[in-house]
Amino acid sequence: MARIIVVTSGKGGVGKTTSSAAIGLGLALKGQKVVLIDFDIGLRNLDLIMGCERRVVYDFVNVINGEATLNQALIKDKRVSSLSILPASQTRDKDALNKENVGKVLEELGKTYDYIVCDSPAGIEAGAMMALYYADEAIVTTNPEVSSVRDSDRILGMLASRSRRAELGLEPIKEHLLLTRYSPKRVDDGEMLSVEDVVDILSIPLLGVIPESQAVLKASNAGEPVILDTESDAGKAYQDVVDRLLGETVDFRFLHAKKKGILSRMFGG
Amino acid sequence: MADASIEFKGSSFTLSVLHLKTSKLADIRTDLANKVAQAPDFFYLVPIVVSIEQLDSSVDYQAIKTLIEEFNFTFVGFTGAIAKEQRTLIRELGFSFVNTAKPQTLDKTVSAEKPEVVKTETLADIPERSLFSDKIHRGQIRSGQQVYAKDQNLVVIGSVSAGAEVIADGNIHVYGSLRGRAIAGAKGHHHAQIYCQNLEAELVSINGNYWLSESMEQHWGSPVYIHLTDSELTSSKLI
Repeated sequence: MARIIVVTSGKGGVGKTTSSAAIGLGLALKGQKVVLIDFDIGLRNLDLIMGCERRVVYDFVNVINGEATLNQALIKDKRVSSLSILPASQTRDKDALNKENVGKVLEELGKTYDYIVCDSPAGIEAGAMMALYYADEAIVTTNPEVSSVRDSDRILGMLASRSRRAELGLEPIKEHLLLTRYSPKRVDDGEMLSVEDVVDILSIPLLGVIPESQAVLKASNAGEPVILDTESDAGKAYQDVVDRLLGETVDFRFLHAKKKGILSRMFGG
Repeated sequence: MADASIEFKGSSFTLSVLHLKTSKLADIRTDLANKVAQAPDFFYLVPIVVSIEQLDSSVDYQAIKTLIEEFNFTFVGFTGAIAKEQRTLIRELGFSFVNTAKPQTLDKTVSAEKPEVVKTETLADIPERSLFSDKIHRGQIRSGQQVYAKDQNLVVIGSVSAGAEVIADGNIHVYGSLRGRAIAGAKGHHHAQIYCQNLEAELVSINGNYWLSESMEQHWGSPVYIHLTDSELTSSKLI
């Protein structure tokens, strides 16, 4: 059985798509068969981050409507052969999806893949509900600031009440907290919530902390998921996240500001 | 431990009180016989306290006790003696004298003479407070969620997030942080209280009296309970 993982947040712009791309690619690099689905119908982004936007012929909505087969719509990643992308439609809206047909597509994909990573749209409307409905696990992407934490809390409530697992009274969705755009220095300065604060408020297990990094923007523009940038802190942190998802115990990194040595203080560093 | 085999503890019991309106033994016997005949099983060996409040000082205590025991009651003691000498006499005769928790008469001279009376919850208060059963919610109540315990107390085993709302017609207990809104005694219940392990609420309300966060500064971030005293919200530390 494939593990269906939804990457969700409530709030927009916190790094859902960046995280979906990095985690999906990271799992594939570890030898897992992975499919990434863009649920953000009308605001197609995942294909850009993955660098396959020029290869989109058919999309998720075409498959739902029976206008294309799954194999026609799936785009094989050029870097890792065990990774595929199911892009969203740019010309339709979120009402184009319905529960029954989405369920069928996921079931079909589950026969082939080990991991189905669903990149959720922002908000708590139909599109986001559709992305989380069939999930077995949820990666709740949160920035260390109050409004993002509040929205994540709201989504956690939805995961516990509106998902298929909740409706059928099955074991609840396994929740993971992914803290993104974390800046230890700004936490020290009191401008940002700390990891401890966020974990205390949301009370779900911490999956990873991704430090704020220039590498993320660079990666997005280049269409190369940041996990491929193995020199960057963000890339390393996503690698840790993937290892933890696969059941390994990895110490948390990048939680504290780097202390400047005397030389770098003198010469600037 | 030297005294591990025994322990003294104070407890309250409900006892039947027999109020005597006359000291004429023959009359008491007749009426008591009639009463017991109606439900002999009900009265059999029932512990009983005899109130002599309405009698004058010329009472034959020993005869009354004997009479009571004739009808198979378990005699506990006397109550309602007004004068100090009377109480002394009862004790000298070897009977126990029982005080009620609440003075039966509000006569000032009497209450002045009974300093041993401890003010506790009056019986009338107790059923009103414990009227409700508990609705138990396990797990965190998230932003946007609302939990209402209709005609019940609400027990939350977990935290109440900011943006969440818990409402109960009775009391609210939060075994976690209270960061959202808590409304106790929603149908108008003056004795309702709110308990939490960490007060960081947006709003608390009891019987329509409410506080916003700014009023909670005194006990912010502490384990507290909130209650009404004279229609004013009051917070007190739990520990």
